[in-house]
Amino acid sequence: MSADILTLRRQAQEEASAFPALLARAEQLAGTVLLGEHGRRRAGMGDDFWQYRPLRAGDSYRQIDWRRSAKGDDQFVREREWQIAQSVQVWVDNGASMRFSGDKNTPSKADRARLITLAACILLLRAGERVGLTGWSLPPRSGNVQVLRLAEMFSSDDEADYAEPEARGIIPHSRALFVSDFLGDITAVENALTKAADRGVRGLLLMVLDPMEESFPFEGRTIFESVGGSLAHETLKAGDLRERYVARLTERKARLNDLCRLTGWQFNVHHTNTSAQSALLWLWRAMDGSHG
Amino acid sequence: MTVFGVLGFASPWLLLGLLALPILWIILRAVPPAPIRRLFPGVVLLLGLKDDEQVSDRTPWWLLLLRMLAVAAVIIGLAGPVLNPEDTEEAKGTGPLLVVMDASWASAADWRARMETLDGLLGRASRDGRRAAVLQLTAPEEVRFIAADALRAGLTGLAPEPWTPEMERITEALALLPSEAFDTWWMSDGLQRESRSTLLEALEDRGRVTVFESPRNLLALEPARFEEGALQIVAHRLRAGPEVEVTLVGEGKDPAGNDAILLRSPIVFGSGETRAETAIAAPAELRARITRFEIQGNRNAGAVTLPDDSLQRREVALIAGREDREGLELLSPLHYLEKALIPTADLLDGALTDILPANPDVIVLADVATLSEAETEGLLEWLEKGGMLLRFAGPRLAASDVSRVDEDPLMPVRLRAGGRTVGGAMSWGEPKALAPFDEDSPFAGLRVPEDVSVSSQVMAQPDPTLADRVVAQLTDGTPLVTRKRVGQGQIVLFHVTANAEWSTLPLSGLFVQMLERLAVSSLAEAPEAAELEGTIWQPLRVLDAFGAAQDAGTLPGLPGERLVSDPLGPDLRPGIYQGEERSLARNVTSIDASLAPAVWPDRITVEGLRAPQETPLAGWLLGLAIALLLADVIASLALSGRLRGPRAAGPAVVLLALFSLPEAGFAQGTDADDRLAIAASAEVVLAHVLTGDARLDELAEAGLRGLSDTLFFRTSVEPSGPMGVDLEVDELAFFPLLYWPITPDQPTPSDAAYAKLNDYLRSGGMIVFDTRDADIAGFGANTPNGRKLQDLARPLDIPPLEPVPEDHVLTRTFYLLQDFPGRYFGRDVWVEASPPDAELIDGMPFRNLNDNVTPIVIGGNDWASAWAVDERGQPLVQLGRGYSAERQREIAARFGVNLVMHVLTGNYKSDQVHVPALLDRLGQ
Repeated sequence: MSADILTLRRQAQEEASAFPALLARAEQLAGTVLLGEHGRRRAGMGDDFWQYRPLRAGDSYRQIDWRRSAKGDDQFVREREWQIAQSVQVWVDNGASMRFSGDKNTPSKADRARLITLAACILLLRAGERVGLTGWSLPPRSGNVQVLRLAEMFSSDDEADYAEPEARGIIPHSRALFVSDFLGDITAVENALTKAADRGVRGLLLMVLDPMEESFPFEGRTIFESVGGSLAHETLKAGDLRERYVARLTERKARLNDLCRLTGWQFNVHHTNTSAQSALLWLWRAMDGSHG
Repeated sequence: MTVFGVLGFASPWLLLGLLALPILWIILRAVPPAPIRRLFPGVVLLLGLKDDEQVSDRTPWWLLLLRMLAVAAVIIGLAGPVLNPEDTEEAKGTGPLLVVMDASWASAADWRARMETLDGLLGRASRDGRRAAVLQLTAPEEVRFIAADALRAGLTGLAPEPWTPEMERITEALALLPSEAFDTWWMSDGLQRESRSTLLEALEDRGRVTVFESPRNLLALEPARFEEGALQIVAHRLRAGPEVEVTLVGEGKDPAGNDAILLRSPIVFGSGETRAETAIAAPAELRARITRFEIQGNRNAGAVTLPDDSLQRREVALIAGREDREGLELLSPLHYLEKALIPTADLLDGALTDILPANPDVIVLADVATLSEAETEGLLEWLEKGGMLLRFAGPRLAASDVSRVDEDPLMPVRLRAGGRTVGGAMSWGEPKALAPFDEDSPFAGLRVPEDVSVSSQVMAQPDPTLADRVVAQLTDGTPLVTRKRVGQGQIVLFHVTANAEWSTLPLSGLFVQMLERLAVSSLAEAPEAAELEGTIWQPLRVLDAFGAAQDAGTLPGLPGERLVSDPLGPDLRPGIYQGEERSLARNVTSIDASLAPAVWPDRITVEGLRAPQETPLAGWLLGLAIALLLADVIASLALSGRLRGPRAAGPAVVLLALFSLPEAGFAQGTDADDRLAIAASAEVVLAHVLTGDARLDELAEAGLRGLSDTLFFRTSVEPSGPMGVDLEVDELAFFPLLYWPITPDQPTPSDAAYAKLNDYLRSGGMIVFDTRDADIAGFGANTPNGRKLQDLARPLDIPPLEPVPEDHVLTRTFYLLQDFPGRYFGRDVWVEASPPDAELIDGMPFRNLNDNVTPIVIGGNDWASAWAVDERGQPLVQLGRGYSAERQREIAARFGVNLVMHVLTGNYKSDQVHVPALLDRLGQ
């Protein structure tokens, strides 16, 4: 009995130990994008500034814009342009297939997907949005504590090989972000997207692939198994399958792309051997571009 | 042994194993390569894809063939195949076998080939079950026939001797020949000798004679002679042929006393010539150091010649009549003589009576007029034995009565009183020049430079003998140099001074040449046999047949007459022999020797040294099998996809390592450099100088690690782990900042390291010196660390320094700071001084300071300790207690951040001074 508790506790600690690291890296990654945003600003075209308004009861002194207020007798508060928080709901594939990494130097797909997603969440939260998960496990909320909750949710794994997109509980007219390898059943993705589109939700689809899944560099007699072990395929000459495999993968991507176009979503592919920053930048742009 | 054509097999029945190959083929064919299991999420896309061909579940035919070949090679290899098995009936003899070897120095050059041939022949004899014996003609021993195998085992003990088998030895050998019948193999050295025919007849009486001779040409070297100012060396070759150039090498001690090749000269044998000679004009000093000449690449005693005393340095005693006047070096009568002789001779210094017992070769008396009776007697005795007295005139000699009325025994001529002066301020006439030298003068052939003139001289009295004694004269016919022989020695008088007072002769190169011609600096022909009678000569070094000089050890001495005339033999080995006064060389080849090839009668078979050797092939075949199996491993890996593609790094690396082993060691140095370069330049890396104090180096690394972490968390500078830098070895250019903690006992870098450091400073690097004593800023250089810092920094290219001014850019590159504490809260920190013209403009917060990054920061606050964190990010060094300590640590960290920002961004923050102007210009 006590052994069980000890094991459980150790596992819990191990799990928890991965979580601050992810959080730290995500913060770091988010920081780079914020800095990049600063660099693109031009003089005289301030985006965030909306208007000055007179001080009202309930405003704290910290909100007073002293520079403006010093010019006259009234006190002013500087208002930002984007005041109304939007809800963003994310779904990160936690299926077994995401735990694949083709090379010991590249991170696993799950690792990369979580990193990018969490970084994006941090950015969104800092921008004042409310972020949560699809489904009912973590409804959208704002504030820094939400980052911790998200990170916690991201550190759980699923045993099934290919997870299905969770499209339940999406708040109408909110925004959504799905991150997965989308190698599983495509109809589930189709259903989820159409369901979301029906509710007026627009969003992003980020396909995270290992470079090996892209290039299929295998030769010889091989038995391919899925990470969870549910599927297997044996071939005598793996090299001969390459072209057909690549064709199928391209077809899958094209299908997803079409689906996105139909539903007004945006689609992008990210490879784990490239920099996470580029993917994050795309996410941020895509999010930003649609609300601005 | 079973023989098929040129192939023989030791155990042919093993070949039956080849019959099993087809069975193996069938078995192997049925076993397909094992599949690899791979995790692959994309498998869902693969489902339903079919393979094009169905063949590859069987091993491909070429892989099968490869394996079959390997197995076949193993089977054949084990069957013991032999190429050219030598058991043809015709070569077989019966009865015993005598191997006669000349074993002279002429065989030494290809002794190994001879031994191999002999080994092969004896191997054949042992297979035929014959008995054999060896007779070495240079050292004949009793002939006893033993089993060829036993003889073969003892072959390594045979060695050639550095002489040739002359008649005496042949007679000895003839007496030793057994009476029974036997066949003879004669390993000849290829030289013609009269004694050959006698022996050949005796051998032919006993049985068949086969002669083996090397086709290789033989080279020999005559002893070196010194003639006409050059070393004359003659080389011979045995057989004339096309034009060939060989290299003559002179070996000896270099000035440091190590063996070295001192000179090298080509000798060219003309087409069809067997004799070639070369003349080497080597400086006397070099000549004297040569201990051995040889033809390069020829290992035999004939191609080596040892020079004896004739090329050695001579001992010259210099004695001046006048004490040197202190400080007037150029007026010293001996100055020019010393300069001229030092390179070629050993100079002796001292009183005449002390020098005479040392028996110098030459005694020089410069302006010495009178000698005591004892000195005169001693000199005369020495002259009789072959000494050479060289005298120079001078004011004293001119003023003295020596050799006026009667000829002094130590002067070659009588002198007139007073001498004469020509071309001086108080005399008529021009200074006189030298007349060309006569044919019979020892100076004949020397060119007289035009600028040599004589303004004063002592004059010789006309005498009947005078004409014979003059060896050089002036243009007006007055003698300049006179010479008289006394016993075996001679007296030479220069009628001028040995310095430049009376003539310019000592200033010219002619003076040196004249001394050389007078044999003051060289010498001596070889003595005749008669002269050596009754003397005993002790061998010093002797040559073996291969031409290597060996210590003579306990070899007995030899009477002089035998040394010159006897032929070489076991009692008289070639080498250097030491007598009472000099040494003599006895070389293998004498002067005017010649080499003649041996001539054999037509009835004798003469074979070369290369008989078709039997070659066992088993090793090759087994090696081939292993190579094939290796190829099979690679092919199998490739076939099953383990060689290429993902996760093949393991096998691929092993294979690469197998094939690139020889180069691996070679490239390591550059690899390590590259790795350092890549590690240091992939990210920003802070570096500290390794001081050799392990604890301090660890602390410095921990400090920089802490600083790197701080930078990483707070700024967009994201350094990777810090590095320790060895100034002597590592490239510095990669590091923006070098932290250099000072200890009193750290080694001072080499000049090369300083050059690197200066380059580093000039190209924008920064060195942070930390004396860690909190005191340097007061310029109290009285701490050991402060003194060490001064020592270390002296060779560095450091600009003028000043304490950090309040408006220095370092105070605001990231944080606003005015203090720079580390572990200590010390005083000033020193940086490059701001330019003198920097002024505070009204309304500006700070001056417009220098554009550069300060190359140097000097302080003593032990920043590393304040920055230092352990692996978990906890501070390592306690700074104090409570909040103030934390505050100090924080400020120290901020200083570090500012420092790095300053290095990386330069004066960026200083440029903020222009912001108001810029804003103004933008109209805001």
